[in-house]
Formats: sequence, C-alpha cells, structure tokens
Amino acid sequence: MPPDLLWLPLLAGTGMTLLLALAGVGLFLKGSAWQALALSQWAAVGGVAASALTWPVLPLALGVSGGMMWLLRLQRQGEHAALASFLAGLALVTLLAANAPQASLAAARWAEGQLYFVAPADAWAVVGLTLFSLPLLRPLKRIWLRSQLLPNLASWAVPGLPMRLAEAVWLVAVIVMGAMVFGVPAALSTLLFPAWISALRARHLQHCLLHAVLLALVAFMLAWWLSLWLDQPFAPVLIVTHVAAGITLWALRSVPSSTRRSTP
Amino acid sequence: MASGSEVVALERASLGVARALVGPLSLRVSAGARLAITGPNGSGKSLLLKAIAGQATLFSGRLRCAPGLTLMLLAQESARREPWPLSGHDWFAAMEVVPPALPRLAALLPRRLDTLSGGQWQLLRLAAALSPPPGAEGRVPHLVMLDEPANHLDHAVKEAAVELMTALDPGVTLLMTGHDSGMIEACGATALPLEACLDAA
Repeated sequence: MPPDLLWLPLLAGTGMTLLLALAGVGLFLKGSAWQALALSQWAAVGGVAASALTWPVLPLALGVSGGMMWLLRLQRQGEHAALASFLAGLALVTLLAANAPQASLAAARWAEGQLYFVAPADAWAVVGLTLFSLPLLRPLKRIWLRSQLLPNLASWAVPGLPMRLAEAVWLVAVIVMGAMVFGVPAALSTLLFPAWISALRARHLQHCLLHAVLLALVAFMLAWWLSLWLDQPFAPVLIVTHVAAGITLWALRSVPSSTRRSTP
Repeated sequence: MASGSEVVALERASLGVARALVGPLSLRVSAGARLAITGPNGSGKSLLLKAIAGQATLFSGRLRCAPGLTLMLLAQESARREPWPLSGHDWFAAMEVVPPALPRLAALLPRRLDTLSGGQWQLLRLAAALSPPPGAEGRVPHLVMLDEPANHLDHAVKEAAVELMTALDPGVTLLMTGHDSGMIEACGATALPLEACLDAA
C-alpha cells in the first residue's frame, strides 16, 4: 500500500488504541471485562446485520451494542450473562454470514479487522471520538475511582445518573468503534492486555492509566510496523504483540517485591 | 424528615434485603450523638446501618432523615481485589476528602491498597470515613456510620483509630456497631443494645 494512503489508518489506529486502553482500565477497575466481550460481539452483530440490510453500519452497531449493555446492567448475573450474550452474538454473526452473501464479507471484516482499509468516514469518526473524549477524561477517572468505594458509601461521592449515563455511552462508543476498526479480537486485546499488565505494575491509578496507554501505543506501533514489514494481517500481529508483552512483563514482575502484601 | 435536632429517626421499622429480617424497631439519633449499637452476631446491627444508608430495604415503618443529611458508611468488610492499582491517596481522592495529619497514616498513603495488611487497610478506611466531607464548614448535619470499626485492628492501630474517632467534630453524629466495649468507651460513645430498640410486634 502506498505510504500516503497509510496516514489515515495510522491516525485512526492511534486514536482507537488510546481510547481502548483507557476504557480497559475503567472496565478492569469495575470488574466488567466480561461486558467488553459481549459488547464487542454484539457490535459485530449490529454491523453484520447492517451490511446484510444495506443500512448504515455504525449507528446500528452502536444501537445493538448499547441495547445489550442496558440488558446486562438490568440483571445481577454479571459474567455469566455476559458470556452467554457473547456466545449468542457469535452464533448470530455466524448464522447471518451463512445466509446472506454481504453479511459473510462483513462478518470477516468484524472478525479480522481491516485497519489498513478503514473507510475515511470511519477514521474521522474515531478522530472525532478521541477529541471528544479528552475533556471527559477527568470525569471518567472520577467515576471509576468512586466505583471503588463500594460497599462503603460516601453520599456526596455517589455518581449521579448523568455521569453514569455518559460513562456507559462513552464505553459503548469506544468498544463499538474499536471492534469496527480493529476487529473484535484485536479490540478486545487492546482493551484487556494493557490494563491487566498495568494493574500489576502501577503505583497508583494515574500511573496505571498512563502505563496502560503507553503500553498500548507501543504495542500498536510495533504491530503496525511488523505487519507491514512481514506482510501479515494487522489484528493477529497486534494480539501476538500484546501476549508477548504480557509474558515479558509478567516474568519481570517476579523481581520487584513492591506489590506483595505485607504481614499484618 | 427527622424532627428538631434529630438526624435520623426510625419508627417501627422492619428491615431486610429480600425479606424483612429485623424489627419492628425504633431509634432516634440526635445531632452530635455518639452511639454504639451492640448485640450478638447476626442480630441485625449491620442491617440497621445499611438501611439508613439505603443499602437495605425498609419493609414497613418509617425512616426519616434530616434535610441535607450527608452520610458516610464504613462497611464491616471491604474486600480488596488483587491486583488493585490504587494507592492510599487514590482512596482519599475517591472519597473527596483530605487525609488527616496522622504519622501512622502518612506512611500508608503512597502505598498500593493491595499491599496493606488487614489492620493498615482498616485504619486507612477509618481515617477516610472520619474525614470531613467537602465543604463541611457549616454543613450540618453529617452522619458517620461505622460497622465494627475495631475489626482487624491490633492494639497499636486501635489507639490510632480511637485518636481519630475522638478528634471527630462535635457537630458530627457518630453511629457505630461493635462488640469492643473498651473501644466504645474510649471514643466516648454510649452503648445501646439493639434489642432495646425492638418494639413489641
């Protein structure tokens, strides 16, 4: 691919990486990583269905994924419901792909990701979401911090409905657009790995957020360069990069003792 | 609304989660009171605090709170996830309160919460719970509820906890549960057996 055609995917990928890494820390703190699995898969359901119906992809993916988040938050089964929902979504995508020719292509795109061939409109949507997210970072950090207080309660620090709603909408938007740009597995990998690894090493929340973003960006750049150099699809290279980074940092973690619990 | 200087009043209240487990009971807590609810395990002391905090259900009777009341509930157990990338400073930031100047506490603030011992974690939570809420100057009433605050505390840490509790602003109302009569006495609280609050069914 000519280099002058790569800057837009690079821009979209960088923005998406930044957002997914931040969202990953938020989901980790809230113990909602399972939700990401379900939401990204249902984004794919919406996207594939939109392709089959020749409807606009992003609005339907956002709507379906947002509806699933609402359903998941209605009940208390947590990870069980999220996992069941993920499996149902996977089955639906497979069925759609088997029965509609356009859906088959779309399903492959949502599974494998097509970062290098991202549509300009989608890339600009990611850039827009990244810019829109900048002023939200402080409130998001506050809402994630406050969520850690439970089961303790400080009545003045309970997030209001508008804050909770804004956070939920932001999370859905990031997960859906991440799955659309990177494909479901690579988006999940960017959501989960940097946050997990950073949670092991960070000294405090701010450090964790910065560490996760930095790690995700380094992995993204490395995977971008490797996949172009080796002429390989981007999404699996990114996942392998995350796994390798995770194993390396996990091994290094055995050296410092700062995260071991002291004796009473 | 609670009358006069009362911050909380329960009248013939039956409390529970899925079904009523305790009550009917009545209790009036005045502003600035230091009250310790005592009783055997499972008698409903924690449930009483949770009901006031809105974390348990009021099945019958009435619960009235003073207008503008700010509430703090220190839960009996607050499990820590591992790994948990939060420091002591983060915990105070989450509660939007300023850490008190206590040397034993200062050493805990930069540390990750998942590296603290049980006693250190309890002391840090207690210190945050007893810190004045933001904009507390002139804000009355404020109710601090501590569920078994002496849990996990060894003798030395208990002294620091008592120091924090006795330094609480006199205008703040303290409602706690516990079995440790020494600690209840040391922080100037009046013991009130839960069974004394029960009404005839």
